[in-house]
Amino acid sequence: MKLKKLTALFMVAVMGMTMITGCGSSDEGITKDTEITVISREEGSGTRDAFVELFEITDADGNDITVATAEQNSSTSVVITTVKDNPAAIGYISLGSLNDDIKAVKVDGVEATAENVKNGTYKVSRPFNVAYKEDSLSQVAADFMKYVLSTQGQAVVTAEGYIAIDVTDDYVSSNLSGTVKISGSTSVAPVMKVLAEEYEGLNPNVDVQVSEGGSSAGMTNAIEGVSDIGMASRAVKDSEIAKGLTSAQIAIDGIAVIVNENNELGETLTSEQIKGIYKGEITKWSLED
Amino acid sequence: MSDKRYTINRISDRTMHILFFICACTSIFAVAVICIFIFAKGLPAIGEIGIFEFLGGTEWRPGQEKFGILPMIVGSIYVTAGAIIIGVPIGLLCAVFMSKFCPKWLYKIIKPLIELMAGIPSIVYGFFGIVVIVPQLRSLFGGSGKGTLAASILLGIMILPTLVSVIESSLNAVPESYYEGALALGATHERSVFFTVLPAAKSGILAGVILGIGRAIGETMAVVMVAGNSPVIPESLTSNVRTLTANIVLEMNYATDLHEDALIATAAVLFIFILLINVSFSLFRKRKG
Repeated sequence: MKLKKLTALFMVAVMGMTMITGCGSSDEGITKDTEITVISREEGSGTRDAFVELFEITDADGNDITVATAEQNSSTSVVITTVKDNPAAIGYISLGSLNDDIKAVKVDGVEATAENVKNGTYKVSRPFNVAYKEDSLSQVAADFMKYVLSTQGQAVVTAEGYIAIDVTDDYVSSNLSGTVKISGSTSVAPVMKVLAEEYEGLNPNVDVQVSEGGSSAGMTNAIEGVSDIGMASRAVKDSEIAKGLTSAQIAIDGIAVIVNENNELGETLTSEQIKGIYKGEITKWSLED
Repeated sequence: MSDKRYTINRISDRTMHILFFICACTSIFAVAVICIFIFAKGLPAIGEIGIFEFLGGTEWRPGQEKFGILPMIVGSIYVTAGAIIIGVPIGLLCAVFMSKFCPKWLYKIIKPLIELMAGIPSIVYGFFGIVVIVPQLRSLFGGSGKGTLAASILLGIMILPTLVSVIESSLNAVPESYYEGALALGATHERSVFFTVLPAAKSGILAGVILGIGRAIGETMAVVMVAGNSPVIPESLTSNVRTLTANIVLEMNYATDLHEDALIATAAVLFIFILLINVSFSLFRKRKG
């Protein structure tokens, strides 16, 4: 009996494998007539806000008018998977999340790299911010902030593929102990986690907890005192500052527009073309209105 | 002596009684609190947006304070209907096979596998959808592959265990005399099963289908990954669709103020849907009894 069960399981597994390998080679390349699959993030996402603002995908009143039929995904990793699998797709992600599975578009002929963001030739970038309550910030959380805004902390930022901001102070550990709770943007969290690990290396008695939940949730947590520090991949809103938050910029992130590896028509796009695609005016890879 | 034992028994009886009662109350309490929370937060939001704008509006742009969930309601109905069209014939025939045609040794393999299907987490189904179903649909129909059809197929598979187990037990509950009577009148095995046993189990089959609908409409993670999630009423089987559940989970992380309340109001609408489904389920059950 057992043997038969095992055989059946094995057969199902083989069937599954065949199906998966079978579709690996299904689609290659695109032509000028191929329709563009427009991939966007969900409303409220920090990445989307920044992308829409930078490419002016807005109406006269500044409202987001990304074409309604665009596919919407709730995380960077799903955007990457989708673009990796679909040769006709275009999407956008944080520059720090870029990997070899997909190709970054040269916007107006400029390659999306950290150097180009820093020297100002690649214009699509946004700040990574943190916010906290100045007067009730614990000593250890203040020390962590000091580390993040030190030369050592910014070296970590650079090593992770983001753009450091100009700082001059070196960090010296004062061997505090305690817990720092950080929450917020899913885009800022990856670099914050590395910063936390490095900081814990220097201060073995400190526990830094980084959780992701979105920029707005991070700000709310910081206001309500649930977290010591909130992370935002957008500017901290005036309404949030009014509730007692102090904000600080900890890094700059580029936004990479990405296409499938086999997509040769989308290697270089002008910002006007990207704007047209996301407004729904350009629908085919011939890139004509 | 025996008197004392009697008293002890009585006391332990009563304590257990109270304990069970408290347990029952806890689950009722949980349901009540969820109801109160959803409606207390959702209804004012609906009031603020306007019930007709909310339920009948076709535009969902939270950034511009446009909260129309009609596309999501239609999306949920389309996707669920698709899942039923795909899942019910397969599930029904599978249950008939298992109950009336299956050799014993095979039954011992199929039954645990179907139970295993019910235990697979929905995120795993989602990955299956994104790496197997979506690329296949893309190479068959073009476009992105994500959309109503992909979500329907995936949900059709996901509701199979529910359908099969409910229908199978209702088939087994049909008195053997129906089947034997049909045989005695000269009907073949197939005829007896399909024309006497199956009609006799009608209400049980309907109950299974309704439970399947409930499962399909409430499914979230798997659907989010394969539906494309554009908040527009789908034009064709392959165009993107967003369900009520997807609407909530996609935007909850970043929502603030009225946007957040609008999402809770979406949950209230979904809740009413599920309530209707459960009421009709118990109606069918009652008729069966």
